[in-house]
Amino acid sequence: MSPRKKVLLKVIILGDSGVGKTSLMNQYVNKKFSTSYKATIGADFLTKEVTVDDRIVTLQLWDTAGQERFQSLGVAFYRGADCCVLVYDVNSAKSFETLDSWRDEFLIQASPRDPESFPFVVLGNKIDLGEERRMISQKRALAYCQQRGQMPYFETSAKESINVEQAFEVIARNALAQEESEEYGGDFSDPININLDQERDGCAC
Amino acid sequence: MTSQQASSKPDPPSPSASFYDLSDDEEGGYNTITHTSTTRGVKLLYSKSKVYVHPTPSAKDNIPGFIALVQQKPAPLSPDDRPNSSDSSGKRTNAASYLLAWVPEASLAQDELSAYVKVDLKDGESPPKQTYLVPPPPVATSFEESPVGPYSFSLPLSSIYSIHVRPPSLGWWYGSIVVNTRAGSSLPALFFHDSECESTILQKKKRARESFDPFGESGELFWGGDEVIRWLKRYVMVERSTAEPSIYLIDPSEEDRLGFGQGRKSLEGKHQTVNPDMKKPNQKNPPGPGMDPLTKALKETRWKILEQLSKVTTFTRRTAEDLANNKNIPPQVRRLIQNPEIQTLQDEFDSAKLYLARWAMTIAEQSEREKRQRIWTARDALDSEETSVGDFEILDMEAGKMTLADSKRRPVNLEEWESFFDSKGRLQVTVDEVKERIFHGGLDPEDGVRKEAWPFLLEVYGWDSTEEERHAYMNSKRDEYVQLKGAWWDRMIEGAATPEQEEWWKEQKSRIEKDVHRTDRHIPLFAGEDIPHPDPSSPFYSPDGPGTNVHLEQLKDMLLTYLEYDTPPSPTTSSAPHYQTRNPHPQNLGYVQGMSDLLSPLYAVFQDDAVAFWAFVAFMRRMSRNFVRSQVGMRAQLSTLDQLVQILDPKLYVHLQAADSTNFFFFFRMLLVWYKREFEWSDTLRLWESLWTDYYSSQFHLFIAVAILEKHRDVIMDHLRHFDEILKYINELSGTIELQEILFRAEGLFRRFEKTIEAVDRKNTFPEPSGGELRQRRPADDADGKNQDSSTSAIATGTGNPSSTAAGSSSTLRQGLPARPRQAPAQQAQKGKAKEVEKRAEQVVTPELRLLLSRKIITFDDEEADVAKPRASGLKD
Ligand SMILES: Nc1nc2c(ncn2[C@@H]2O[C@H](COP(=O)(O)OP(=O)(O)O)[C@@H](O)[C@H]2O)c(=O)[nH]1
Ligand SMILES: [Mg+2]
Repeated sequence: MSPRKKVLLKVIILGDSGVGKTSLMNQYVNKKFSTSYKATIGADFLTKEVTVDDRIVTLQLWDTAGQERFQSLGVAFYRGADCCVLVYDVNSAKSFETLDSWRDEFLIQASPRDPESFPFVVLGNKIDLGEERRMISQKRALAYCQQRGQMPYFETSAKESINVEQAFEVIARNALAQEESEEYGGDFSDPININLDQERDGCAC
Repeated sequence: MTSQQASSKPDPPSPSASFYDLSDDEEGGYNTITHTSTTRGVKLLYSKSKVYVHPTPSAKDNIPGFIALVQQKPAPLSPDDRPNSSDSSGKRTNAASYLLAWVPEASLAQDELSAYVKVDLKDGESPPKQTYLVPPPPVATSFEESPVGPYSFSLPLSSIYSIHVRPPSLGWWYGSIVVNTRAGSSLPALFFHDSECESTILQKKKRARESFDPFGESGELFWGGDEVIRWLKRYVMVERSTAEPSIYLIDPSEEDRLGFGQGRKSLEGKHQTVNPDMKKPNQKNPPGPGMDPLTKALKETRWKILEQLSKVTTFTRRTAEDLANNKNIPPQVRRLIQNPEIQTLQDEFDSAKLYLARWAMTIAEQSEREKRQRIWTARDALDSEETSVGDFEILDMEAGKMTLADSKRRPVNLEEWESFFDSKGRLQVTVDEVKERIFHGGLDPEDGVRKEAWPFLLEVYGWDSTEEERHAYMNSKRDEYVQLKGAWWDRMIEGAATPEQEEWWKEQKSRIEKDVHRTDRHIPLFAGEDIPHPDPSSPFYSPDGPGTNVHLEQLKDMLLTYLEYDTPPSPTTSSAPHYQTRNPHPQNLGYVQGMSDLLSPLYAVFQDDAVAFWAFVAFMRRMSRNFVRSQVGMRAQLSTLDQLVQILDPKLYVHLQAADSTNFFFFFRMLLVWYKREFEWSDTLRLWESLWTDYYSSQFHLFIAVAILEKHRDVIMDHLRHFDEILKYINELSGTIELQEILFRAEGLFRRFEKTIEAVDRKNTFPEPSGGELRQRRPADDADGKNQDSSTSAIATGTGNPSSTAAGSSSTLRQGLPARPRQAPAQQAQKGKAKEVEKRAEQVVTPELRLLLSRKIITFDDEEADVAKPRASGLKD
């Protein structure tokens, strides 16, 4: 019925500026790390087709500007997200401390049907810089994730491509589960939404 | 398989069945039917809409019509009118009873029209099962004799000698066919406006959907003319000439085959007189299908590309490289393929769609380039082809000026710049003259004139200053810069007054550092790393090697100095002799992403940190509204852009509305850093100096945005339906936009806007009694909506667009939304009222739009008045 026959999973990547969101996405999708990515302005997305439990799904990974003041304008694309990835830099305490704000911001803007069960995945990035620079221990991060409804946690390096595949596999899996649960919920959604969808599909002009 | 589909689903008899759509069963034979005009009806087998005759080079004179294949009388040998494809002798005997016809839309009565439309929209390869009878088209063997119009014709297939087929391709935006009769004359060329023809659009879409294959059987792009050949093939022998692949011979005799060369020549001659605008052969690439490089490249690489698109796993980087290095591929496509993001496109969701959209743009671009050349050389070729956006109107309006302005489009070099000043270094021409020159010509990138001129454009220097005054001024500013820089330097060493401040500065510093290290590193000045990083705690510090270069360090210092300048002194500042900012209006922005992008070109041009700094301060007077916490400046610009598109291109606006894209967010990046990410470095400098002149408007950058949008509007409207698709498409324009062209378009758009506002104002002063729509565009636009009240003709126009006005369309859209189920009648009444108000409001030019006519720059202070409260949020910035 849907005009897009494939399953499209929308994933939003959030976190302070400079924690490595753009680098992680590019490492995952394009398999490369570059020191010359520019600071993200506005928003963009990359897509990747992956197989989750024999199902082919398309991940649409949204990368946004990390600076807080730009968030208020770009929330249009939070809607309809299936999973939210929170990224911080293990060498920056500040970037860890703001995770809660990013999470809240997301829940307010995306207003998922059931905020309690909405899937988040947390990534602590830049572990390649070495222990002596590290500000947030794995133990502390795990405790935090445990507290917030057992969010899956990965320690990654976009530069050295550590744990990136694994993390996104879990992200895809969680997103798919979320999408499927939303589909069931869809039966009870109000008629207006359904009509709107039809209108969008039906236009042949 | 399509024909099977079609025949398995016969249309039920229409409840409003008329003379024109009787079914076979009801009808029982031709002779029982007589047409009102007493002529017998003919059977309409195929028709295609939006096939035009272009009688003159002017698009205004184009005549839309239908090409059709009709059957004159029942086949004498078989009661079944569907041809028996294996029986070629049958074909021959029938050739006289089938007529190929072209009739202008305007000559068709309403019932006829609806029959033509229905047959056109029939999905399937065989003629409709149901019989559609129409009055016989005028029988004329050549167009001069036709009773209906000078161009309409209908010819028995037996009297057609050949058809010259020219698919759309490089420089030939519309494909065309020319019918060459056995009597030796050529009928007027028929142009297939595929982008308006609903059935062709549907067929194209179907192909794209089913197989990602937009190409026709022969490997060329699918287009309307193919269809005609396919129709004919069902009834007569159609032979493609091997010598001249663009010629199809109809029922050729052996003689015909031999004498073909001559036939072709006479056709060429005729063709030329009918369509003078078409006969401008490009010297290097003689026109003709199969000969132009794009079509050729398309053919040669088609499978590779399609393979790349659909076959994910077998695609290797090597294939991409082969493609990229293939010299036959037009440079744009080559660049496209080289783009690493495209290389991964095969992985992407809906990649084929985006790819095809881009491909379509490539073709459009080629054709446009050619058009533009014609515009600049031959004025009369100007509106040879119609575009729905009214491009030609812009160009039309500007064409005279553009040719004149050629000499004014040369960059201003140092010598010319110096000639503007007298011996005391005071300007001796008017500021407007200088600005006009720079707006159109830019500044010479090589000879250092930018260093001289930019401080004026940015109003660091007054235009009426003398050399001596400027010298003195800059000296004092140098001192001030050193003091400002010293202030944060001191603080770094001594520590800030409070721990919070300390923390804040540290954070700002690390943000700046992160961004500077990812700003314009492809520019040689900023590329290398040759000195050790001064701060061992920085992530960019490396104990065993250089981590930075002196220019990156300068950028960091300047941004920190700007922070010092822009941050109001705190009351708790320690008594240390810190520099107190002399900035009368510190905005306390903090460092915001994008600032480093704005600074780096200034620094690169001046290569003097103090001058660059003050130039940056001046630049930020106009740009700071982009960076304020509330984002009110960005919101205001995006909303103005929204209004601007509404008024300049209502049809596109409606499309964007339907695609949920009127937030115009995809222009965020362009507006924030003035297209720095979209254009090459050198073009960015050129663009900025034009924008700094405020020659037409201080908001000219918004017209640049509309110009970019307009250039891609057809592709967007044809291919992109959703916000994400549009955003991706626009984002990926980065690095592909041709600046000169966009400047040219933006100028035209500005003038059109200005005229529109004038017209509205005039109307408001002298209101028309009937209260005509203000947003109506031009007479040209009305032309295709002339029968708006008749639903039949709305279909026939092929666009199905209910309205050409923004006001009308938006309310139509709103009406189109499903009503909420339990709406109180009172509420509805109120809603109706609201619409009234809205309509009236639209007759007044909004202040935002009017501001676009002003050359005065808009600063943050101007916008503070209506600052929206920042959204409550846990995130502090
Ligand atoms: N050492 C190291 N540096 C990284 C890593 N990921 C990103 N970076 C660097 O951190 C900076 C910011 O990265 P970016 O991906 O642009 O961050 P974003 O603002 O979150 O998108 C850049 O200089 C990257 O090169 C990583 O895993 N290890
Ligand atoms: Mg980024």
